[in-house]
Amino acid sequence: MLASFRELAVKSPWIYRINAGSCNGCDVEMATCALIPRYDIERLGCQYCGSPRHADIVLISGPLTRRVLDAARRVFDEIPDPKVTVAVGVCPISGGIFRESYAVLAPIDQYFPVDVNVPGCPPRPQAIIEGVAEAIEVWRQRL
Amino acid sequence: MNFLALFARNLTKGPYTEPFPFAPAPTAKRFRGKIEFDAETCEGCRLCERVCPAGAIRMTRTAEGMTFDCWHDSCVFCGNCEFHCPTKSIHQTADWHLAHTQDQKFLMVEHALIPNQICAECGKEALATAPATRTVTPPLSPTETQHLKALCPKCRAKFIRARKAAA
Ligand code: SF4
Ligand code: SF4
Ligand code: SF4
Repeated sequence: MLASFRELAVKSPWIYRINAGSCNGCDVEMATCALIPRYDIERLGCQYCGSPRHADIVLISGPLTRRVLDAARRVFDEIPDPKVTVAVGVCPISGGIFRESYAVLAPIDQYFPVDVNVPGCPPRPQAIIEGVAEAIEVWRQRL
Repeated sequence: MNFLALFARNLTKGPYTEPFPFAPAPTAKRFRGKIEFDAETCEGCRLCERVCPAGAIRMTRTAEGMTFDCWHDSCVFCGNCEFHCPTKSIHQTADWHLAHTQDQKFLMVEHALIPNQICAECGKEALATAPATRTVTPPLSPTETQHLKALCPKCRAKFIRARKAAA
């Protein structure tokens, strides 16, 4: 029973986006993944959901500005375990163009347990899809 | 295009969705992706390191020569390095397959070494960079460039001065 549930669950991971102070470049690309039929991430069974409580995979963009840390933590903790975290863009990975700024806390793996990184500024939609595909693999092992 | 025309096109042309990730994704030839570096043609001017807004490039003098490193986890694909590089030794490829798991973080690096060499004239040790020859008139022949490459910076300057005086 549990095994078949696992099999079914990896077919439909729901995605949630957290914007941790991103310039919106990465967010536009993430939205593009799902909204435009050319990329259509829903073929992988993924769907963006409105509530963090429904999510399985969380995509974080942005260099984690100081002001957003508390809010991001709160939302992140609402997502049920096991979850998979994907850092989208170089901002969350290394700070990218904002690195060493007094206003940002990047890299975000000091604050959140990151599983998959998708570098790029912004990464193209296909690269994000590739990252999500890797995240689904991680999730399969974690379930 | 109105709805009916779109409908007719979709009926005849089939799905618009790219097959990726189940098949390769179409990529423009000039897509600005992962950095590639060629130590053979690099002049060692370190302009790329200086202009990189993300600090993704680092060149370091070591005992063997000068190392070049570009971290793909820091590069923002801006193309500044390629734009300013006088020899185009550094350029962006159309490769964007960079997604990786956390254990690979900061391991994706373009690494190269510009080795030291012994100057063919004075015997001093110097970097085996490509000689900067764009401004030399008349243009150097391939054999002259080859010879110049085997020299240290001082002997290179001497060679060019002597050539200018002879011309
Ligand atoms: S990685 Fe680039 S596009 Fe994405 S949020 Fe940072 S600056 Fe913006
Ligand atoms: S790659 Fe180009 S800009 Fe960088 S040090 Fe070499 S020649 Fe100079
Ligand atoms: S493309 Fe831009 S960020 Fe990347 S190495 Fe070159 S200068 Fe640096």
